[in-house]
Amino acid sequence: MYKTMILALGLAVGSGGVAMAQSAWTGGDELPTNPLACDGAAGAAAAVPYDGGQPTGAPDMKGQKITVVDVPKLIGIGYFNATSKGIADAAAELGSVDAKTDGPTKANIDEQITFLDNSITSGVNGILFAANDPVAIAPVLKKALSKGIHVVGYDANSTPDAREWFVNQAEFNGIAKSMVDNMAKEAGEEASFAIVTSTFTTPNQARWIAEMAAYQAKCHPKMKWLETVEAQEDNVLSFNQASTLINKYGDELKGIFGMTSVATPASAEAVTQGGKCGQIAVVGLATPNAMKPYVAKDCVKSVVLWNPVDLGYAAMYVLRAAVDGDLKPGATSVKAGKLGDLQVINGSEILLGQPFTFTKDNINDFDF
Amino acid sequence: MTSPLATPRLTAPVRRLATTLEANGQELVVFAVIVVLFAVVAMINPRFLSDTNLTTIFSGNAYVAVAAIGMTLVIISGNIDVSVGSLIGVLATISGTLAVNGYPIIICWLAPLVVGIAINAFVGVLVAYVRIPSIVVTLGMLSVLKGGLISATAGAWINDLPPDFMLAQFRLFGIPSPIYFMVALTILAALWMRHSGFGRTIYAIGGNPDAARVAGIRIERSIVGVFMIHGFFAGIAAVLFATQLQVIQSTVPPNLELTVITASVVGGVSILGGTGTVIGSTLAAILFAAIGSALIFTNVSAYWLRAVQGLLILATVLADMARRRRLR
Repeated sequence: MYKTMILALGLAVGSGGVAMAQSAWTGGDELPTNPLACDGAAGAAAAVPYDGGQPTGAPDMKGQKITVVDVPKLIGIGYFNATSKGIADAAAELGSVDAKTDGPTKANIDEQITFLDNSITSGVNGILFAANDPVAIAPVLKKALSKGIHVVGYDANSTPDAREWFVNQAEFNGIAKSMVDNMAKEAGEEASFAIVTSTFTTPNQARWIAEMAAYQAKCHPKMKWLETVEAQEDNVLSFNQASTLINKYGDELKGIFGMTSVATPASAEAVTQGGKCGQIAVVGLATPNAMKPYVAKDCVKSVVLWNPVDLGYAAMYVLRAAVDGDLKPGATSVKAGKLGDLQVINGSEILLGQPFTFTKDNINDFDF
Repeated sequence: MTSPLATPRLTAPVRRLATTLEANGQELVVFAVIVVLFAVVAMINPRFLSDTNLTTIFSGNAYVAVAAIGMTLVIISGNIDVSVGSLIGVLATISGTLAVNGYPIIICWLAPLVVGIAINAFVGVLVAYVRIPSIVVTLGMLSVLKGGLISATAGAWINDLPPDFMLAQFRLFGIPSPIYFMVALTILAALWMRHSGFGRTIYAIGGNPDAARVAGIRIERSIVGVFMIHGFFAGIAAVLFATQLQVIQSTVPPNLELTVITASVVGGVSILGGTGTVIGSTLAAILFAAIGSALIFTNVSAYWLRAVQGLLILATVLADMARRRRLR
């Protein structure tokens, strides 16, 4: 019992000691950053040689009617319903495309491979996919290429040589710019802010945070980074962590960034329950459905993500351009209907463009 | 102090303090740690003691404390339940699903209690009558409940909960309801464990089952009863959990069972059964919330929370073993 007591007291005092020795950690990774220009000019794309795979013996279908199958990770959820809608919209605009979505009802790679195999057998001209597993899906996609079928990915990539092109929904520096710009707009150029993330070692979040730090230092130098806290992917913990940040900094805290679709609504809830709506801005990555209550109450003004309807729309245009021979290896951009010219990055990827900001005006158009 | 773990030459005042703590149990130690922690962190940042932060600390982990009451009874009876986190996840989802489908609010609040009692009655029967060790039964339940929950919901969250449903957001005199639940249930359970026949029966079963049997206690029936009471508390914890935020994340909160068990053990329940109180487990749940908050106030990585919890559990189990050796 004596030992317990000493140990417990030691722990309590020790944690206080560690506290004073340590400064706030940003939670970003150590990789080099590439902040975008403050005025929104497109980032300088490093020239990477084309690394996709080309179909062999594809018939010349330029301008002719083509059949396309879309095989998302799974069907029946709001997100992929939205990409399917984008694909259908683009197909209708193009006029000469017969596109249908056909995929597994669970995000299962084996089922997805079966669907792709069946499509190859039934003889389509083009395949759009969002991979459940980048490596496991590669053989069946290569089989499609070998039969002269055009293959374009979106949302979730395969290994590059298993498809011709991949439509990349957002780059890290693009998300970072959108997040920090929205925060500066809502909370002011001199705002102090904190971040709620999943864990410091989650690769995507660490990358976004590092890019946010670089962009903020470059374009909004007077903003002040207070600290980053971890909240796993746990709703209640995220809420408690965000509440504690509000308690700790009081009026000094002007904004909270939520880095996950769990942390952002929980942070918004903490601001709401803390009676700080309008005083503390919440900007974050999240899906629209989880944020609708807070956006409706005007407690959250900007939810950053990409628009899945645009993502499907762009993928369809990219596929048509590949079929028509308008998008060849080495190209630097591609025309994508109402989205305009989209940039080719990383060898064989098409960048969808700036991330999409959901606001009070548009959030109810989305259901995912 | 004849334990091999004790330092041989203790100065008299320290020895007296140690004996006092020994007599008054683990609760005092945990309480003392809470006081020291609050004092140290408040010196670094006085805002730690602001009323809003105290509210966050006390209400944030209230559902853990409520679940730990039931867990404490289970452990005192010489059993364990490693499935409580999954159970709370399932019960919260049931509650929320009823609420969004327009069932009367009172049904939404009571259903998790009833289902929790029913599921744990089944667990209790397997443990007491079929004689499968509780760790095995509840490990099985852990997988069944977790898998069933993910299959049934496909990970979709429950949104659009009606405002009246939000029990944990109600406040009385500015204090959120989870704190009332935590305090009232802890006091009631403590009194009941101390003064009721059934309470003493639970101690007797955990302390020495053979003696309890000879004394005429119907052990099987009592163990089923203990698990059903545990299910009741898990149901209340689930309602508090489900009504805290505007959404219910239809997955099992990570490591919740571990946090609940740790609260019980650090609060002074002997993992071997027979001793402990629910006051200790509630204090330990508060301590964990306070540590989590303190880490942010002192800019220490939240990963320390796990490490500190682990150290506390090791230290208390060691102390418990030393105490038993001495009593022998």
